[in-house]
Amino acid sequence: MKVLVLGGSGYIGSRLCAMLADSTWVSAVSGSRRATASASTVRVDSTDAASMKRALRGMDAVVNCVAGSAPAIAQGAHVLVQAANEVGCQRIVHLSTMSVYGAFEGEAHEDTPRDPSIGWYAKAKCDAEDAIAAFATHGGSVVMLRPGCVWGPGSELWVGRIGRLLHARRLGDLGAAGDGWSNLVSVDDVCAAIVASLGMEARGAPLVYNLAAPDSPRWNDYFVDLALAIGATPVRRLSPRQLQFDARLASPALKLAQIALTKARRGSRHLPDPLPPGLLGVFERQLHLRGDRARQALGWRCTPYTEVLRSAATWFMSNDPVRTGAAQRTLQVPPT
Amino acid sequence: MISDANDVGQGALLRADLCIVGGGAAGISLALALTGQGLDIILLESGRLKPHAPTQSLYDGEVSDPKLHSPPDKYRQRRLGGSTTIWGGRCMPFDAIDFESRSYLPHSGWPISLEDLLPFYPEANRLAEAGRFAYEAKAALGADAPPMLRGFRSEVVSTDGLERFSCPTDFGARYARRLRVARDVRVLLGANCTRLELDADSRRIGEVEATTLAGRRFAIAARAVVLAAGGLETARLLLASRDVAHAGIGNEHDVVGRYYMCHIAGNVGTLEIGGDTSGVRHGYEMSPEGIYCRRRIAVRGSEQRRLGLANAVARLHFPRITDPRHGSGVLSGLFLARPFISYEYAKRVNDGTHGSLPLYANHLWNVLTDPLDTAAFLGHWIARRTLAQRKFPSVILRNRSNRFSLELHGEQMPHADSRVSLTDKLDALGMPQLRVNWRYARADIESLRRTLDVIAQEVERSGIGRLSYDGGTLEEDLMRFGAYGGHHIGTTRMGSDPRSSVVDANCRVHSVGNLYIAGSSVFPTSSQANPTLTLIALSLRLGRHLTQRLSPRPVAVPDEVAA
Repeated sequence: MKVLVLGGSGYIGSRLCAMLADSTWVSAVSGSRRATASASTVRVDSTDAASMKRALRGMDAVVNCVAGSAPAIAQGAHVLVQAANEVGCQRIVHLSTMSVYGAFEGEAHEDTPRDPSIGWYAKAKCDAEDAIAAFATHGGSVVMLRPGCVWGPGSELWVGRIGRLLHARRLGDLGAAGDGWSNLVSVDDVCAAIVASLGMEARGAPLVYNLAAPDSPRWNDYFVDLALAIGATPVRRLSPRQLQFDARLASPALKLAQIALTKARRGSRHLPDPLPPGLLGVFERQLHLRGDRARQALGWRCTPYTEVLRSAATWFMSNDPVRTGAAQRTLQVPPT
Repeated sequence: MISDANDVGQGALLRADLCIVGGGAAGISLALALTGQGLDIILLESGRLKPHAPTQSLYDGEVSDPKLHSPPDKYRQRRLGGSTTIWGGRCMPFDAIDFESRSYLPHSGWPISLEDLLPFYPEANRLAEAGRFAYEAKAALGADAPPMLRGFRSEVVSTDGLERFSCPTDFGARYARRLRVARDVRVLLGANCTRLELDADSRRIGEVEATTLAGRRFAIAARAVVLAAGGLETARLLLASRDVAHAGIGNEHDVVGRYYMCHIAGNVGTLEIGGDTSGVRHGYEMSPEGIYCRRRIAVRGSEQRRLGLANAVARLHFPRITDPRHGSGVLSGLFLARPFISYEYAKRVNDGTHGSLPLYANHLWNVLTDPLDTAAFLGHWIARRTLAQRKFPSVILRNRSNRFSLELHGEQMPHADSRVSLTDKLDALGMPQLRVNWRYARADIESLRRTLDVIAQEVERSGIGRLSYDGGTLEEDLMRFGAYGGHHIGTTRMGSDPRSSVVDANCRVHSVGNLYIAGSSVFPTSSQANPTLTLIALSLRLGRHLTQRLSPRPVAVPDEVAA
């Protein structure tokens, strides 16, 4: 099966392509905006219909891992569906997100109503889902995956950034503000679910699966576990006041500085990470993403949390040699 | 979800799988443990999120001797979160010896062992926000953590143990959102349990009656009922439900309300340690997870058994606050600040010493002549306690002299005559008030005396210093503040014999098929440990039992994790 991986240079896409390189039944082509064309890569602008059609020609399936701006996500999905129809590509595996459940709290199953009201990202992802779902009603095969927070070695969002904020004592134990479920799912497990989805036949209506590790903890537990593993100790207890100050005052300034430096073509790597208010919303939201359906239908199994934690912490420290010394002195505290 | 009991229809009958009475540490932990198990749960909480004086005064009652026990409305809070809204946060598990039947300690012995509770302690620790379940210094602080007392080694006395501190976490505020989100838990605020109605054959609770101060009355019919109203209130509820069982529910053998225990506590003696002050760890240390921990001295279990001692611990403490001869500006400042400290926390500053003008002058002098220490202390206190989310647990003075007093916290032995009972006075809802007749025995004091002797002997033997105390004033020192406040233990004790206990090993009232009790009132003995952590662990264990017993389907298969 010939598969185009859109967003192939991203965190999930690149990992998927690496995994598929060893596959006996799938040959993958990585498509991204910045790629230079080769046997296994193709340059594609997901908002441009012609470029999309060229990339899709001859493909049996496409995996949509496109991230980025709202147009790239929402409009990109429309362009993809249209191009797939035109070139006769019959199969889409679309990577959505748990953000489509919006402000919902409680146990989120696949039939929980969606809520696009909490920001541009949720809105764009809901739009993208709708576009892709229409492909299924026209006879295409669609599997939609809604992962929680995708982490593991190399995850800037959920390991790199969190680790730096822990070292800066801007994250720690947040009390009720960090009591939400993390819904972490490892990048390798997401890729395994994508591969399993490629083998699913889904005519008529899209198949939808949540992806979250059943043993993923609440955010506070993750913060403490990661802090201990990378030597960001003693863990600090933060008050809602401090968090709000950081998110509402410091973070906008940092974000602006980041944008300015990027525009001026200077690296913004050494800038502290912003802690946007939306992220605080994620930390306190009591949304428990249930992945039971994927486990039953796809035979999907997750890597144990502690194992992913270990490899993620190792990656963090190898990227941050200054801290390695400190971390080696960390204590082996028994896990709970 | 959380809603108001005044919104329930007058005379309504609500049905549920489980009715929990009381939303404190026990009730909230139990509800959180049971959510998601396919059960319908109603939790009745008398109070709301904020304190409310008319609700609090439902706790009014009498004490037989005000010098020995605080009034029944103190150290207890009738609101969501219960007394965790004012607790100090000290956490430690019970010791193995606490569960044993000890021949030298009458009425001792639990029908369960430490092993039965161990699986639940880590989660209890997590709920209390006290970090990892590690109570040995090296496990908690690291293998290279220095000893509590440099050079002290003893087979008899241990200094390796430590206690950990909760934020202190107010379970109401901390877990309100979880309760609100839970679709299978219905928390009714303002709902006072005013009667437990036994079926005619008196084998099960048919209905639980709830009344609000606004006059709303309704009932809950549940497959099982858990009383989690606190060590005093649970006994009161059982005793007051006497229309079918005339002595009160579960009280066929006159055990309910008896064996009431707190802890025997006080500051005694002088421990002088040789060498420099860096060899002593007397204050708080922080574990990697950011938890305040403190070392403690204890006679090892094997030695307690050999010497016939009740369990006890000692912490290194400062001199008596009220006596200005200590010369400490910090302590004198505390003394002068007495009027601004809440009853529960000022109690050990108000030791019956009457404020005279010269006394105040002496304390003021201490503050004025010790300005640097006092200012440094104030700064630290404001930053680490007043403004902090995780609060510095108590006043610690800089160790300048290697001289300490010992702060003792000892197990009180169970006695049938130490008890709570009902009076003829009624509260605003028509419930009889409580009379507290707490008593201690000479043996309690003697056990601590021998414990001190053992510690003194080991300190001397190891050559690190000297412990002396005035045997003549020991009882006075330990009883200066009466029963240690807030630890309400034993009034519905656990046991296998219905003639000498109220609940069985599963916390079920012997004579009633569907009535359970969560909380420290089921502890048959009091340990050296503060009760909260263990009552949470026991509530979680009860949660597992109730899941197995009430689950409508085979217990929900937990998500699997690939091996």
